[in-house]
Amino acid sequence: MEEVIWIEVLSRHREVLARHRCRGPVVTIGRGYSNDVVVDDPHVAPAHLLIARDESGALVAEDLGTTNGLFVERRRERLQRVRLDGDKLIHIGGTTLRIREGGQPVAPERPFHRNTRSWIAAGIMGTAIIAIDVLWIWLGETNEPKVTGYISPLFGFIMMTLVWIAGWSILTRIFAGEARFERNVVVALAGLLIYSLYNEVADFAAFSFASRTIASFQGMLLWVLLAAVSFAHLRIIGRTRLKLKAAAVTALALAVIGVQALGESEARQTFGQSDALNRLLPPALRMAPVRDWNSFATDIEVTRRRLDEDRKTEPSGPGGFFGAFFGVSDD
Amino acid sequence: MTMWLLRSSLCGAIAALCAVFGQASAQPVPDAPQAISSAAERIYVGARPRLMQIRTLVAAAGRQSSLGSGFLVSDDGLALTNYHVVSQYALEPGNYRLEYTMADGGKGDLTLLAIDIANDLAVVRLDRRGDAHFDFDARALSGGLAKGERLYSMGNPLNLGFTIIEGTYNGRVENSYVERVLFSGAINPGMSGGPTVTADGMVAGVNVSKRTDGELVSFLVPAHFAASLLERAQGASPPSPGSLRAEIARQLIEWQAGLYKTVAETGFRTSSFGPYQASESAAPWFTCWAQTNAGQVPKPRAASNTTVCNSDTRLFISGDLYTGTIQVQHTHYRSVNLNAFQFATFITQNNRPYWFGGWRPKWYTRQRCNEDFVALTPSDSHPPLRVAWCARAYREFEGLYDVWVVAVTQDRSDEALVSRLSMQSVTHENAMALATRFLETLQWKK
Repeated sequence: MEEVIWIEVLSRHREVLARHRCRGPVVTIGRGYSNDVVVDDPHVAPAHLLIARDESGALVAEDLGTTNGLFVERRRERLQRVRLDGDKLIHIGGTTLRIREGGQPVAPERPFHRNTRSWIAAGIMGTAIIAIDVLWIWLGETNEPKVTGYISPLFGFIMMTLVWIAGWSILTRIFAGEARFERNVVVALAGLLIYSLYNEVADFAAFSFASRTIASFQGMLLWVLLAAVSFAHLRIIGRTRLKLKAAAVTALALAVIGVQALGESEARQTFGQSDALNRLLPPALRMAPVRDWNSFATDIEVTRRRLDEDRKTEPSGPGGFFGAFFGVSDD
Repeated sequence: MTMWLLRSSLCGAIAALCAVFGQASAQPVPDAPQAISSAAERIYVGARPRLMQIRTLVAAAGRQSSLGSGFLVSDDGLALTNYHVVSQYALEPGNYRLEYTMADGGKGDLTLLAIDIANDLAVVRLDRRGDAHFDFDARALSGGLAKGERLYSMGNPLNLGFTIIEGTYNGRVENSYVERVLFSGAINPGMSGGPTVTADGMVAGVNVSKRTDGELVSFLVPAHFAASLLERAQGASPPSPGSLRAEIARQLIEWQAGLYKTVAETGFRTSSFGPYQASESAAPWFTCWAQTNAGQVPKPRAASNTTVCNSDTRLFISGDLYTGTIQVQHTHYRSVNLNAFQFATFITQNNRPYWFGGWRPKWYTRQRCNEDFVALTPSDSHPPLRVAWCARAYREFEGLYDVWVVAVTQDRSDEALVSRLSMQSVTHENAMALATRFLETLQWKK
C-alpha cells in the first residue's frame, strides 16, 4: 500500500494554511526546490527537515544541521530529533508544522445544530426586556406621552446590547474558533432581563421598606450582575480554567465596587446626603409598618448627635471623583 | 453702581457697605458758614464733628474691605453703628481690624464693645475722647414721633463724603417681627450705622437697610434699642475678640428662643387643601404666596396648588450668612389622568432637590436625613405620612441647626398633600416642637 504523509503548515492561531500530500517513506522539508515540501520562510534552511520512520516504525522529524534548528510546541530546548504522534506541533524558523499519516483518526461527524431553542429563548427574553422597559418608561411618564420618549432610550439600549454581544462573539471567535453567537445572545439578554427587573424592584423595595440601605447597595449589585454575565460569556469561550476566570471577574467587580463606594463615601463625607424622598411610589406599595412619631423622633435624636460630632470634625475640601459634580457655592 | 444691589435682596435688603472703588476720600467741608439757609444745613453743622466713617480693613493688607458709618454717643468716646458694619471683625478678629475717619480727617482705631445681632447694632470705642456727641430724642425713645415728621439721615454714602438727607418718619414697619422704623428717605450703601436725627439734632434711629424693589423705602433701628445696647456697653468690660463668636451664638440662641415662643403663642390657622387640612402660622409677619399650575399649557396631567409662607425674620450674621427664616409650604397634588405610579413620579419630580442650597463648609456641617413612614395618633384623623427630616448643624454656633421636614400623605394614590417646614438656626428642641405641631395639624378633613 502506498504510504501517505500529510505535511500541514499552520498559522499562529493553529489554523491549517496549506496541506501537502506526500509520498513516504521519506519526506524532506526546506526552502530549496529539491525538497518535497517547499516552505517560503527566510528563517528556514534550504534543506531543513527530514521526515522518516525510526526502527519501531514511528514517524520522526530530524534536523538536517540548520542554524535555527527544530523545536516542539511548548518546549524550549532545541531538538535534533523528534518523534511525531500526529498532534505534536513542530517549529522550524518561523513556521509551524504538523505531520500526520494517512491513518490519522478524526472526530466523528457532527450533526448540524439548529439552536432553535436558543433563538426562541432569546426572542422571548428580548421581547420581555423591551416590554418591561416600555412599562417602566410609561409608569414614570408625567407629561403627554411622546413616541421618541420610548424609542430613544430603547434604541440606545438595543445598540449597547448589540455592541456587547458582538464584542463577546468576536472574542469567542478568536479564542474558541467559532462565534457561538446564539449562546452569547442568550447570556447577554438574560443579564439584561435581570437588570431591568432588578433595578426597578430595588427602587420599589427602597420605598416600600423605607430603607436607604437597599438604595445604597443597588449600584453595587449591578456590578455583581455584570461580573456574573461576563463570567458566563467567558464560560462560553471555553470551560477551561474556570476558577481563574471567576477570580478575574470577581476581582474586577470588587475593584469597581470599591472605587465607587469610596467615591460615594467621600462625596457624602463632604457634601452630606441629598437623597431623601428619592423616589416616591404609590402608597399601596408600602410594606414597612407605619411608625409613630415618637419612635421616629428617637431616630432624629441619633442624627442630631451625629451632627454634633460632625461639628467637631474639620470640613474636607471638594475634590475626588464626585467633587466635580458639586459647585463650590458660597451663597 | 450695581454693587450694593448684589449685596441686597428683594426683601428687607441690607444697604450694604462696600461700595467704593478707588475714589478719593471725603472732601473737607468749607468752614465759616454764612447765613444758615435750611434746617439740614444747621443740623449738619452741629453733627459734623460727631460723625464718622467706619472702615473694616484686612489686617494683613491694611486695605479697606467694607465701609459704613457711625456716630458718637458719649463723651468717653463710645460710638454706635450697625452690627453688619463690624461683622467681619466680629467673626474673624484675626483677619480684620476696625478704623474710623472723622469728618475733619482724624483717624484712629476702634475697639468693639458690644453687639446686638437681633437689632443689627454695635457699640465701638474710639481711641480718643472728649468730642461732642449725639443724644437720643426722648420722644423717639418712647415711640412718640409723629408720622410725617421730618428726619435727617447722615452718613457717608458710597464713600462720596459725609451727607445729610431729608426724609420723613413713617412709624413702625407693620407686620414685621423685627421692630424697625420706616424712613422715607434715600439711604445708600455706606450710610449703614449712621444716625437719623430729628429737627433738633437728636437721634431718632440708626440707618440700617432699605428695600431695593421700591423707592426711598428705608429702615432705621429704633432709638430705644440703641440706647439700651449703649447702656449695656457702658457698664461692661470690653469682650476679648475671640469671645465674639460665642457671643453671637448666645444671641442667636436667645433670639430663636423668642421667635419660636412667639410662633407657638401666636398660634396657627388651618387651611384646606382638597380633603386635607394643614396649618400656617397666624403671625402677621409671615408673608404667604400661592401658586398653581392650572394655567400651564399643555394642560398638566396633575393639578398642583402651592402655598408658601415665609417669615420676615431674616437675620444678618455675615455677608455670606443670612439665617433665621421659617418657611412653611403646602402643596396639594391631584391627578388628572395619571395612574398611581405616574402620580407618585410627578410628586417626586416636583419636590426635588431637597437641598438647603450650595455646599458651604465654612458655616455648616454636612446634611443628614431620616426618612420613614410615620403616622400620628389618632389615626382616624391623621393620614399616614412619608416623612423626611434633614438637618445640618452650624459649625460655629453650638446647639443650632438648619432643619427641614417634609411630609407626603400616603392615603391615596391619586391625591396627596406635600407639606414642608424649613427652619433656619434653630435648636433641636424648638425644631422638634414646631415640627410636631406642624405634623399634628396635618389632618383629614372631616
